Amino acid sequence: MSSPLDYQLNSSLSRSKDSFISDPVLFGSIILLLSFGLIALYSASGQDLSMLYKQASYVIFGIILMLFISKIQERYYRPFLINFFWIGLLLLIWVLLFPAQGYNTDRWIDLGFFGFQPSEIVRLTLPLAAAYHLTRKDRQPDLIDWIVVLFFIFLSSFLIFKQPDLGTSIIVFISGFLPVFLSGFPLSIIFGGLLLIGAASPFIWMSLSDYMKGRIFTFIDPNADPLGAGWNITQSKTAIGSGGIFGKGYLNGTQSQLDFLPESHSDFIFSVISEEFGLIGVGVLFILYGIILYRVFQISFNATSQFTRVCSASLGFIFLVYLTINVCMVSGILPIVGVPLPLVSQGGTSIVVHLMAFGFILSLKRGETW
Amino acid sequence: MQKFRDLDSGRKELSTLKARSFFIFIAIGLIFSIFFYQLIELMVLNNSNYITQSDKNRIDTVPIYPARGLIYDSEGNLIVENVVSQDLVLTSPQIQNPGKVIKEIKNSLNLNFIENSLLENINEIKGKKAGQLVLARDLNEMQIAKFQVEKSKWPEVNIKPSLKRFVLDDNLYSHLVGYLGPVTKEEIQDRDEFKYPMDYLTGKSGIEKSYEHFLRGSVGYKSIETDVYGNEIREISKKPPKRPEDLYLSINNGLQSLAREELNERKGAVIGLESSTGLIRVLVSSPDFNPNLFNRTSKGSIATILTDANSPLFNRAISGNYPPASTLKPFIGLLALESEVIDQNYIVNDKGEFQIEGKGRKYRGWKEGGHGEVNLKKAIAVSSDVFFYELATSLTIDKISHFLSSFGFGSPTKIDLEEESDANLPNRNWKLGAIGESWFVGDTVNLGIGQGYITITPLQLAVATSLIINKGIAYQPRVVERVGNLNTTKEIINNIEIQDIANWDLILDSMKAVTNSWYGTAYNLSQFGKTKIAGKTGTAQIKSLTEETLSVREEYEGIRESISNRDHALFVGYGPIEDPKIVIVVIVENGESGSSVAAPIAQRLIDKYMEKQDE
Repeated sequence: MSSPLDYQLNSSLSRSKDSFISDPVLFGSIILLLSFGLIALYSASGQDLSMLYKQASYVIFGIILMLFISKIQERYYRPFLINFFWIGLLLLIWVLLFPAQGYNTDRWIDLGFFGFQPSEIVRLTLPLAAAYHLTRKDRQPDLIDWIVVLFFIFLSSFLIFKQPDLGTSIIVFISGFLPVFLSGFPLSIIFGGLLLIGAASPFIWMSLSDYMKGRIFTFIDPNADPLGAGWNITQSKTAIGSGGIFGKGYLNGTQSQLDFLPESHSDFIFSVISEEFGLIGVGVLFILYGIILYRVFQISFNATSQFTRVCSASLGFIFLVYLTINVCMVSGILPIVGVPLPLVSQGGTSIVVHLMAFGFILSLKRGETW
Repeated sequence: MQKFRDLDSGRKELSTLKARSFFIFIAIGLIFSIFFYQLIELMVLNNSNYITQSDKNRIDTVPIYPARGLIYDSEGNLIVENVVSQDLVLTSPQIQNPGKVIKEIKNSLNLNFIENSLLENINEIKGKKAGQLVLARDLNEMQIAKFQVEKSKWPEVNIKPSLKRFVLDDNLYSHLVGYLGPVTKEEIQDRDEFKYPMDYLTGKSGIEKSYEHFLRGSVGYKSIETDVYGNEIREISKKPPKRPEDLYLSINNGLQSLAREELNERKGAVIGLESSTGLIRVLVSSPDFNPNLFNRTSKGSIATILTDANSPLFNRAISGNYPPASTLKPFIGLLALESEVIDQNYIVNDKGEFQIEGKGRKYRGWKEGGHGEVNLKKAIAVSSDVFFYELATSLTIDKISHFLSSFGFGSPTKIDLEEESDANLPNRNWKLGAIGESWFVGDTVNLGIGQGYITITPLQLAVATSLIINKGIAYQPRVVERVGNLNTTKEIINNIEIQDIANWDLILDSMKAVTNSWYGTAYNLSQFGKTKIAGKTGTAQIKSLTEETLSVREEYEGIRESISNRDHALFVGYGPIEDPKIVIVVIVENGESGSSVAAPIAQRLIDKYMEKQDE
């Protein structure tokens, strides 16, 4: 079975695991994507150096945190994952009870020197805790395990929905449900649940706040009020469309540089990239995302530990979901729900949490022997 | 070995995970394929549409307005120029809460504009990319400095320079050059070849109004790139505006100043017309005003001008209606000669009063006891009323009215200034319509000495007199001599052919006698005048002497008590006698004596004019 070639391959792989970074390709792609993001942010922010420095310091902090986590062996933190989730959940309740001053929605915890959103912590700790809870036995989870996990998924996303933050609420729900789905949750219950949601949708609609309904209406017909609520989508599509194949050139995007594109540095940074770098730039961006996702799922599908498999796949899918929602939203396929482009959009907490997730993935790979 | 321990369950879990992952990939892949299709549609298929759209977003075509043309006097001295004003303008069509911004700025810069009228105009610029609204004009240095400090609060508001109109000699040319005011809605709609912006200033009186078409030039355009607030980022292309031509007036600064000095703030008017060209060399109406107050280039109250009972805005030289009084006599005399009612030797014995057909009401002459036997020449020189009462009676109103209208009385001279008056040349129909009475012979008697229903403007009198000097031709009067390098054209407005050309000389001789014979009413001029001039005095009664029982002198005593009832002093003169060049009409309201008040002003102006000619 072991030919010399196999041996060579194995030894090179095992050497990579012993080295400083367990997956250099994944790490390298992340660094490239982060650099790309900082370059795009400089343009999207209207060449605002202070915003760039702030973002860069978050990126560096995130990379350090990612490397730190990737060095820890899985067995040291696995039992604490549940506790991390409890902390996140408590913070969610905290922001609802004691909203920070100066923000429109109750999303933030203000630590004075910086503010962060506990929902971002929950969307990382929830799938980790769920994956741990569902894979802690060497067999299929029991019914009670599913129920407990599902309860906390619903609770978390409901608390975020109340902030109100529809986008993150959906993301957190998906991020919690992914490990459940991937661990083999009975399909019959899923279909049953979907039917139930379908039946309940009129009531869900009624419970949506006006601002959420407004966003959905705007999505359905952005041209109805092009100077009001539809402005964002119209300007974003104009930015993307006018970029063409080659783009208008770095710092030459008129839509973003002349402030026609709102939120160009955060949610709509993809529109800036499209406008300035064109289809080619978008291609480069997707190649980087593609490599990252490929490496993550490679780790998942090759892992021997079910926890590693579920964890990496869940985190990978969450990353993919972020990407999908963001690009679909700015190109007018999905309503504007306020989801950033992962690792690229301006926003400290988002980047740090994504990098922490990759830290866990890199750490999980370290534990694998393939 | 250990890792193969739960191989079976591990394999099952892995295949479930892979199968479900695959399912998710398919689901997300479906969404992504829609996304990629959308991306191709946006960036490749509809790329040009979106480029157009983004260009439309950022590129504005904005009009460029040239600086208004300058105005010079006949010697090339600048009269009206443009000065820079720093204005506060609101540029953004996207502005969310204009009321709040305007209020903040008002308080912060201590401005005094009316918020509500501005807010009404905001709707007109809202949504228009290049729309802008002037919040305040002519900020002072303090306000500019304060705005620079705080301007980041209001990205929609900017300071932009604009040009204001400044008249250098303040009051001297007030009625001539006029002033500017905000463009009216009617003007915006009228002029399609020149698109006035809402905050544009157009000529509201004088040359500024009548030559608006020349002074404004033509609009240029530039394409600019703007940000979402409408701020200009850079210029893309430009079609420069056509600079308007400057105007050169025929007005002579020296004569204008002298005339103004001579009137010395008394109500009245002076007009000087070059008989061979129609060019106006002096035009003064008194009292006058400072156009810069209206142009907002001098500080002061407009209200006091507007409410002044003496109507300083009123241009008496072209719009004032005065009885011509005795200045009409040469015209009546000419008609009498032409109609062969009299000849130059016809004699009337002026005893100081006249009765129609020897009975009825007594019409008095200005001199008690009369002038004795007078022929036409002497009648004009001494200004015998009785002589002309008799002529008028013989001539009839129909003839007089028709003849005077051929001199331009009763109709505008079409001078290149606005608001010229027709004055009134009466006839039978006019009286029937306006007064509701038929024409009486008595009306004709009064008309014979330029009293009664007839009124003239000083300008009409000057033009009509130039027609006598030119022996049948009058040129359209004009105050603008040159537009740029192009001379304005000399055009004939009145052309009379008479049966006996010698009659012109008879009338001219009579007018010479007024100033040069010892019995002439303006003989006083020959005592000090440097240039020999001719002319005719007039003393226009405002209160007619109707009471037969009173003597002239008795009536006068009562009337004179109130200044506003005193007679207007008139004089029309021309000079020099040998080769007449300029006609001067002087009217001093309530000045009482044409010969001692009005005539010397004309003499001095003609002297000054000749001095300039000799230089």
